[in-house]
Amino acid sequence: MWRYILRRISWVPFLLLTVSAMTFVFGHYGPGDPVEVMMGSKFDPETAERLRASLGLDRPVIVQYADYMWGAVQGDFGESLRFRGRSVSSLLIGKMWVSFQVNLVAMIVSVGVGLPLGFWVAHKQGSWVDPTTVLITLVFMSIPIMVSIPIILWGTCLKLNLVPCSGWGGIFDLRMIVPAITMGLPGVAGIVRLMRSSTLDTLGQDFIRTARAKGLSSAQVDYKHVLKNALIPIVTVLSFSLAGMLTTGFITERLLGIPGVGDFAIQSVFNRDYPVIMAFTLILSVAFVIANLIADIAYTFVDPRIRFT
Amino acid sequence: MNNFIAKFFPISIIFVLLFSLHISCSSNELSEDMNDLNSVSEPKFSSAAINNSEIKVFTRIWNDPPTLDPHLTGDNTSAAIIVEVFGGLVAFDTSLNLIPDLAESWTISEDAKTYTFKIRENAVFHDGKKVTAEDFKWSFNRAVDPNTASPIAETYLGDIVGVKDVIKGNSDEIAGISVLDEYTLQIKIDSPKAYFLQKLTYPTSYVLDQDNVNSGKSNWTDFPNGTGPFKLTEYKIGEQIVLERHADYHLEPAKLQKIIMNLAGGSSMAMYENDEIDITGVGLFDLERIKDPNDPLNSDLVIANPGFSISYIGFNIMEPPFDDMNFRKALNHAIDKELIAKEVMADLLVPAYGILPPGFPGYSDDLEGLRYDPDLAKQLLMKSKYANPETRPRIVITIPGSGGTPNLDLEVIINMWFENLGVEVEIQQVEWATFLNDLNRERFQAFGGLGWEADYPDPQDFLDILFHSESDKNNGSYSNDKVDSLLEEARIESNINERLNLYNQVEQIVINDAAWIPLWFEGEGHVLIKPHIQGYVITPMTISKMRYVDVNN
Repeated sequence: MWRYILRRISWVPFLLLTVSAMTFVFGHYGPGDPVEVMMGSKFDPETAERLRASLGLDRPVIVQYADYMWGAVQGDFGESLRFRGRSVSSLLIGKMWVSFQVNLVAMIVSVGVGLPLGFWVAHKQGSWVDPTTVLITLVFMSIPIMVSIPIILWGTCLKLNLVPCSGWGGIFDLRMIVPAITMGLPGVAGIVRLMRSSTLDTLGQDFIRTARAKGLSSAQVDYKHVLKNALIPIVTVLSFSLAGMLTTGFITERLLGIPGVGDFAIQSVFNRDYPVIMAFTLILSVAFVIANLIADIAYTFVDPRIRFT
Repeated sequence: MNNFIAKFFPISIIFVLLFSLHISCSSNELSEDMNDLNSVSEPKFSSAAINNSEIKVFTRIWNDPPTLDPHLTGDNTSAAIIVEVFGGLVAFDTSLNLIPDLAESWTISEDAKTYTFKIRENAVFHDGKKVTAEDFKWSFNRAVDPNTASPIAETYLGDIVGVKDVIKGNSDEIAGISVLDEYTLQIKIDSPKAYFLQKLTYPTSYVLDQDNVNSGKSNWTDFPNGTGPFKLTEYKIGEQIVLERHADYHLEPAKLQKIIMNLAGGSSMAMYENDEIDITGVGLFDLERIKDPNDPLNSDLVIANPGFSISYIGFNIMEPPFDDMNFRKALNHAIDKELIAKEVMADLLVPAYGILPPGFPGYSDDLEGLRYDPDLAKQLLMKSKYANPETRPRIVITIPGSGGTPNLDLEVIINMWFENLGVEVEIQQVEWATFLNDLNRERFQAFGGLGWEADYPDPQDFLDILFHSESDKNNGSYSNDKVDSLLEEARIESNINERLNLYNQVEQIVINDAAWIPLWFEGEGHVLIKPHIQGYVITPMTISKMRYVDVNN
């Protein structure tokens, strides 16, 4: 087990080198130039040349890359080219943390509603409840966020006056309610469907029949045997989605006033803010590797039959 | 269906949002004024002002400023905060008259090349330290220091003797700036320039506190020691900026105690209706509802002055088919701008036939524009080298943007060209950074989606910068010797009427040469301001104005 984890981790540097080199090279050789975006309508070639020199952008790409990576290894992601004088970490980490919190709450809603619902619906197979529930959750999933957010805002904020219309105040703020609903509910459908099928699958297994034959009550069977086994695929799916939780979509952010990282990342690309793009790519890559690793490890806890060597 | 939706604000938010995103992507020069319209409140839920009704607070939505360093800033989002926190020798009042700021008075020498400023003795930084001529000298030098890497220093300060040497690293100190005594500063410029004082209103010329700048590394702007009517007391990136009143301000101190700028964004119309902010812009899709006198928000509606900007289609005059003046004129005459403004743009934009926006110094009603005239357009096309569609080169207009529908007005224009002239034109959309890249290298045959916004209220800022053959911003390679010599004459003409007259001539020649297709001036904006807010003036340029605002509880 430990050997497996170590082996996986030892691959990380190679992965990061490849990803970062590709991002850097594509960024620098692609069209567009951060200095031109910075200067906008005040562009003149001489000043641009001087700016490039003072920002170190006139050095060979390989030197810039090595310099950047040397800093990154030491935890210094450089200074943003768009937000002059600000370190990339101070900009990026806070925004990612906000995105993560929003996603966490959304996930708690999705899982909190989806798991019990899926489990319950699986026991109702054959009745009208089953297809109806699945259908309703699918409707939630299909409504685009740019439609659901304004409608929910209109209802909760303007008509009922329950919550402020937008803004950010942390997880335990009233303003968290609308994002939790609008981002959490669409996720319910996936969890319900997954939980339903995996519960059904488990219910049909021989060991469940054996458990019932032993005379266990149906509650005992459900919670001790069915639930535990049905959770395996869910745990995997959830662990994989961990890395994605570091970002939020810019439409959601804009409509709800959440200072997340999505809009910032997009604008950084448009502005050719190389240090930010690089840091964002690196952090997300690491997050994906770690999330996958957690998924693998989680398997072994939930299902002792699985072993990695 | 559409009417039904329009009654409910939420859906419309999306469109307004997408509309404003579209604007900001497509033309950075034109975009930021939209921000100006998204803004203030007596927050029901936001922290500071709830308990104490005595405190006068103004709350608005704003965006993260790319920089709060006055010497680096070139964008309106940053400048709008900087002008409240810092200050310079001179400024504009809300009617855009030049007024003394930190300079109490000044004299200009006979040859109009030496300016001597007397600095107010009561002027202090936020920490109480006096502002001296030395501070100004240091600040000017810091602005142009190559290590500061300011993208705009040369634009605004390049007229001062010796600035170019410092920028290029040939000299350590600006030769043209000297300190005569503690409160007297002298600035020499390279030739008489009627617009020099106007340029000094820009943040590049603002005074900074040397100790403050040198205190930390680059994050001194989180704790700026400025001279403006407000102090920056809190800046949380992506969350909020809080400005508080500077009681010892050298002019009349602010009436507001606090300005809260919400940086996280959100649905500004909903927040306004919910009393979370004090001011918001009104988009196209909410306008109809709010214009209804029965709507509760109708009484809050304020018509904002248009900003000083123009959008246009430019072409490379060296490249076929735009090397033929008749062809360019034909394209101009074939567009019914009045129709587009009315039917497509809901009268939010004003058709432009000249270059200088209405209300701008030098704007003239007598200018003869190339008006809609399909018959004349056809004749001109026939006279041109490119009358025959078989031999006419392929025409591509490039516009900036990131996917989605190209500008609606441009699509209609292209259709008008086809219907009136049979000329086929294609649109190519490229993302902003790429667009700039090609624009600066004059690689486009024709380009659209671009605008120009005034930096200071002087016609030089439009006509000289955009049409002088040697200007870097003359992206279409337009060149006319007569225009060049008139522009050079205007630079040094000291009689204001003579000067404006020269610019009027230039403008008429440029229009007659059809150097551009001028499209739109900004129309009147629509803004909602809470009734208890007084003295908020919407100006066509970014100026320090929050000290005039009052809250009437």
